[in-house]
Amino acid sequence: MSIGLGHCLLLAAMLFSIGLYGALAKRNIIAILMGIELMLNAVNINFVAFNRFTVVSDLTGQLMTVFAITVGVAEVAIGVALAYRIYNDRLTINVDELDNMKG
Amino acid sequence: MNEMISTLVFYAMAMVILGTALGVVMSRNLVHSALLMTACFIGVGMLFFYLDADFLGAMEFMLYSGGVAILVVMGVMLTKRHDGPPGNPFNNNTILALGGAGLFVLVMIGVVISTPAPAGGYVSPDTVNELADMMLNKYILPFEIAATLLLAALVGAIILAKGDGEA
Repeated sequence: MSIGLGHCLLLAAMLFSIGLYGALAKRNIIAILMGIELMLNAVNINFVAFNRFTVVSDLTGQLMTVFAITVGVAEVAIGVALAYRIYNDRLTINVDELDNMKG
Repeated sequence: MNEMISTLVFYAMAMVILGTALGVVMSRNLVHSALLMTACFIGVGMLFFYLDADFLGAMEFMLYSGGVAILVVMGVMLTKRHDGPPGNPFNNNTILALGGAGLFVLVMIGVVISTPAPAGGYVSPDTVNELADMMLNKYILPFEIAATLLLAALVGAIILAKGDGEA
């Protein structure tokens, strides 16, 4: 049995759900960022697999992945800077304690 | 024979990716999580090479398993409060998050299995040339917007990390 689109989509779905679990169930901001990174990578796998296995005539999917990687890396830089700022101001990066705006 | 080797390689890469991703989420030590995340990105980069996207594979190795991993490890070190390994605790929503993620993967498995796979496929003989051609002709506007986004992220990250009124 040869590898097709379905295999890649299933792998990406599992990676996305692992990342989703990590992003929703963690207390540490850095750990939540890692979960978001896993989800972004799952989406990139989907783009590349669709470009490889469906009827297209150019590399649009791979180009979209280039832009997705750009946005993902910018997001990590901002996220780490935010985590550092929050830690500097409050000495904690536990998201459960950041509830100033709770009514 | 060739097809069997190709299938085996795919399953090996899938096991690397999913195993290290589970390790990222389940590990008790945040530094171990960061290192396993690097291994996961290397697996994804190998998958890109497998899918004939060699430029993207190289990009994944350089940006994700190089740049992002270093950024995350620096973030871990800068936000560590006390001695000993930085912990990686779960919050009180674990059951809910597990239910949501499990539901998502079940729905996706159902969708993928019940949809007929499309025939065809496209393999570029020279991905770097073709990507550059598209990026600088048809998709020039997203390219410029990405450049502006990177500049804004650079300035924003510096201002955020520097803080208000500090030197």
